[in-house]
Amino acid sequence: MYLGSLYLYAYWFLRPLIKWFLRKTTKLCELQRVCYGEPSGASRTLGVEFSLTHSKTPQIQEVIRYLNERSENLEFIGKHTKTNIEFAVVTVLRVKKIHPTIHNQFIKSFGRTVEQIWGYKQLNVEVEELRRTAYDSSNPQHEEMLLGLWQRLNPDTRLEARVTKQWQDIGFQGDDPKTDFRGMGMLGLHNLYYFSDHYQKASQHVLLHSLHPVNGYAFAIVGINLTSLAYHLLQDGAAKSHIFNFAKGSPVMRHFHQLYCYLFCEFDRFWFDSKPKDIMDFARIRDDFETSIRTILANPHTVFRINMLVDTI
Amino acid sequence: MGLLAILRKLKSSPDKELRLLLLGLDNAGKTTLLKSLASEDIAHITPTQGFNIKSVQSEGFRLNVWDIGGQRKIRPYWRNYFENTDVLIYVIDSADRKRLEETGQELEELLSEPAMSGVPLLVYANKQDLLHAAPASEIATGLGLHTIKDRPWQIQACSATAGEGIKDGMEWISKTVKKK
Repeated sequence: MYLGSLYLYAYWFLRPLIKWFLRKTTKLCELQRVCYGEPSGASRTLGVEFSLTHSKTPQIQEVIRYLNERSENLEFIGKHTKTNIEFAVVTVLRVKKIHPTIHNQFIKSFGRTVEQIWGYKQLNVEVEELRRTAYDSSNPQHEEMLLGLWQRLNPDTRLEARVTKQWQDIGFQGDDPKTDFRGMGMLGLHNLYYFSDHYQKASQHVLLHSLHPVNGYAFAIVGINLTSLAYHLLQDGAAKSHIFNFAKGSPVMRHFHQLYCYLFCEFDRFWFDSKPKDIMDFARIRDDFETSIRTILANPHTVFRINMLVDTI
Repeated sequence: MGLLAILRKLKSSPDKELRLLLLGLDNAGKTTLLKSLASEDIAHITPTQGFNIKSVQSEGFRLNVWDIGGQRKIRPYWRNYFENTDVLIYVIDSADRKRLEETGQELEELLSEPAMSGVPLLVYANKQDLLHAAPASEIATGLGLHTIKDRPWQIQACSATAGEGIKDGMEWISKTVKKK
């Protein structure tokens, strides 16, 4: 611990010197070394992000400020994606005196990492917006999505009324799911809906597991708790390794939903492997699950393969 | 912080551990209450599957707060947590008038449990910030609290999200426990 912090201190003290030395010997700036040296995906994007955020060059800090503002206003990805990325690339080429034709490959690689870094930030903002949107039963779109969730999970059973005990069959707490979304708001419903819509077979299969009379769990409530897990992994940056490796271009909402679906299927397996006595074991198993997911995500080569192949019995 | 000050007051009973049990219907606000007691963020609460536990420690004094899910399916497990409870905190969503009767029945059953006999009862009439919330006096009457003779009890209006009224309830707990 002591040695580690000493090493870290020495590194930060010597970092300008190391960078200068490498620049002189390789004739490449740090961003180029990362883009040429690291494989595409999380290793490269995280390397570039580190280098950019620690840059002391005013022009680069200005680029960061500008792109942060764009992504916070949901304007990074969209109509102006190309110009936003170009702005970053052109500035770096100028400041670091990089020849655009010789380093054509750098332009492409660096541009892609910029797209990923600020796409991720924008995704964070979009996810946060959905989370802050409370479920509103007077909003027809919210209601439609909720009813759609039922249909996809239980295509053969009709919902007898909007407020009914049947909701408990898919793991809501009471007769009306609207109070169950709580702090996760519409994000919880969007996640559940996406899972049931895009992976209908897998979600029905997981639902069936959850109905086990002794050591089953409440599907929807656990789902909302997993939304909370996915949300925190995204917000604190732990999910970056997977997202940067998984999304070819900019991370978008779909990638977040798919991470959620992965977590749900994995949790289901983890739950039964943990041999729970009953539902009161949930907090412990959930925490163990989070620890195991975070350990895997700490590896920059991690990609969660969403393998929804369902064993048919 | 208000809570810290209360906990300091509780210092006079050193090394004492208190086991507080938080019960109530789903969506009553138990977890929000628990988190605000522990001065944690309350923006990201999800429905409690199973239970949560937190220890709030202050100078040799420890509050072990058990927050058990309120969903009907989980209520049969409540009894597993009864033993050695020092104070029962029962949380009510004052704005959920439709379920006041249901919450009353659950409370009545709880109080008739042998393991709970004589355990002091604090009722939080939560969500007072909502427009249509029933006042604490009305809830007390509805629950028939005035007929309770076998234990100390108190009803406290509060809003766990706004942090209002919680302190007063905790002060009552500290007074009641000291008397014992």
